[in-house]
Amino acid sequence: MNAFRFSTEPLDTAALQREMRDVTCGGFAAFEGWVRNHNEGMAVTRLEYEAFVDLAEKEGARIVHEAIERYGVTRAACVHRVGSLALTDVAVWVGVSAAHRDEAFRACRYIIDEVKHRVPIWKKEHYENGDSGWVNCERCAAPAAHRREYADPYAHEGDHHLHNYLHDEHPHDGAHHHDHPPVLTPDYSRQIALKEVGIPGQARLLAASVLVIGAGGLGVPVLQYLAGAGVGRIGIIDADRLEPSNLHRQTWYALADCGREKATLAAERINALNPEVHVQAHSLRLDAGNADRLADGYDLILDCSDNFTTKFLLNDLALRTRKPVLFASVYQYEGQLQLVRGDDDTACLRCVWPEATRDGIVGNCAEAGVLGPVPGVFGSLQALEAIKLLLGMPGLEAGDMLLFDLLSLNTQRLRAKRAPDCDAHRRAGMALPAPLPVELEVQFDSLADAQSAGFLFVDVRDARERADDPLSAPALNLPMSKLLTDAAMLDSGGRYLLICATGKRSAAAADLLRSQGFNDCRSLRGGLKGLKASA
Amino acid sequence: MPDQTIRVQYYALLREQAGRSDETLTTSARDARELYAELSQRYPFSLPVDMLRVAINAEFGDWSQPLKAGDAVVFIPPVAGG
Repeated sequence: MNAFRFSTEPLDTAALQREMRDVTCGGFAAFEGWVRNHNEGMAVTRLEYEAFVDLAEKEGARIVHEAIERYGVTRAACVHRVGSLALTDVAVWVGVSAAHRDEAFRACRYIIDEVKHRVPIWKKEHYENGDSGWVNCERCAAPAAHRREYADPYAHEGDHHLHNYLHDEHPHDGAHHHDHPPVLTPDYSRQIALKEVGIPGQARLLAASVLVIGAGGLGVPVLQYLAGAGVGRIGIIDADRLEPSNLHRQTWYALADCGREKATLAAERINALNPEVHVQAHSLRLDAGNADRLADGYDLILDCSDNFTTKFLLNDLALRTRKPVLFASVYQYEGQLQLVRGDDDTACLRCVWPEATRDGIVGNCAEAGVLGPVPGVFGSLQALEAIKLLLGMPGLEAGDMLLFDLLSLNTQRLRAKRAPDCDAHRRAGMALPAPLPVELEVQFDSLADAQSAGFLFVDVRDARERADDPLSAPALNLPMSKLLTDAAMLDSGGRYLLICATGKRSAAAADLLRSQGFNDCRSLRGGLKGLKASA
Repeated sequence: MPDQTIRVQYYALLREQAGRSDETLTTSARDARELYAELSQRYPFSLPVDMLRVAINAEFGDWSQPLKAGDAVVFIPPVAGG
């Protein structure tokens, strides 16, 4: 089937739909334009369509291929009637099938909008009073706009124009202020020019969906850049209303907007910036009861919140749903960025902060103060990392924490490891398998060798023995008599080497500690005597 | 334990309370826990150790990990502003 064609016969939409079937597709979206009985106050009885077929087919096919490329859909086609049509007849049909519904809807919408705008099709309207008139396509009509009121060749169809008329290419002179300016579409050429982005990267962004929690200091730059980049679907969750004290750092909004819901304001701003982005705004607080439902269907979540409760909730959601969350937090002149992948063995927020931090202990922006550009920098970094992540480009490694002090301009990239006893990982069914049993005893030629092997020393001898034969390396002193009572000073995940004079007591001590969950502790075989004998 | 020279960096609330972002100091502290205790004598740190994380040489570490000369120690409090 040609991507775009004309038909002189009534359209068999069921047959057209069958042509869109594909085993790789989970979604099909169609649009039908019908002949309506009225236009601009005139009762219409029937229509005739004529097209400049050669040109129209080329332009129509170009539009369909653009949609396939832009949205990454599997199949797309458009069929337009020519000839005489009666009321309720199908004048135009667009069908798109894709792996997922979102790109199918968006590609379908793109095709019909562009066809209406660009394809040279004329329509003769027959009115009830016996009159008739020709109406041509939007592009063909534009240069002739001074001669007549703008006429929508599809005005008989029961759909709505939702185009964002940003400005008119043709200067207004007041005489034809009713003229509709030409439709402007977003232009991503400046980022498509990057070889890491290109057309396929742009299609990935358009097919991507990102949920942003918080439309404040971090959220504003995040939403601006994601919408600018053409991320296809953006969700916004924020329960707050705009206050004058927000504006020094949330410079997307206006003083006159104060009192309005930030989620709604942000959605309006995105619509103005890039009407191609599908926005869902939720003026509510994310909580354990609604988090899974709200996050459903998004590829990536960006935490732009200002409280630990939300951050830990999102961390647990990341692990539970195996979905990446990119966290950012700021404090006065500095901030932190951390990526939790959710689907692998890298560190999560609770691996780094096992003691769930409570709100109110360290100050937020309201209590501690913040300079406006600081969340601006971190929100921009977050948007950058998000775009790179969606495009599969290198960036912040999962688990790593980026610290950036904007006062001293120090940056630190700290590696965090998955904590073996992490609660969030365990609850998400990602507990680490029990470690392989390790030999209880291990032999070394010297304490220096043991130190290089990463062992921390625990001397289990009593004070008198230690005084007579001091260790040549730093060690914790934990005599057998105090082993169990003082074991709390040891870290259960620590790599300890227990040491005594002959290796007998230390082996017993290691055995005891193993039973208490110290799985990586060992005993120095032969004790200090063994060392000296082999040295 | 001989004194050793260590580079310390402070973030967020700790930076504020220490009145500086970083310093190089000589200490007899054997591990990060002792170092923090020692610095708490000098600065009005309000956060207890179990609310902080420590990174040694760009890796999140253990408070009882022994320190050695030349180590770069970063004390990090949790931050939630947005």
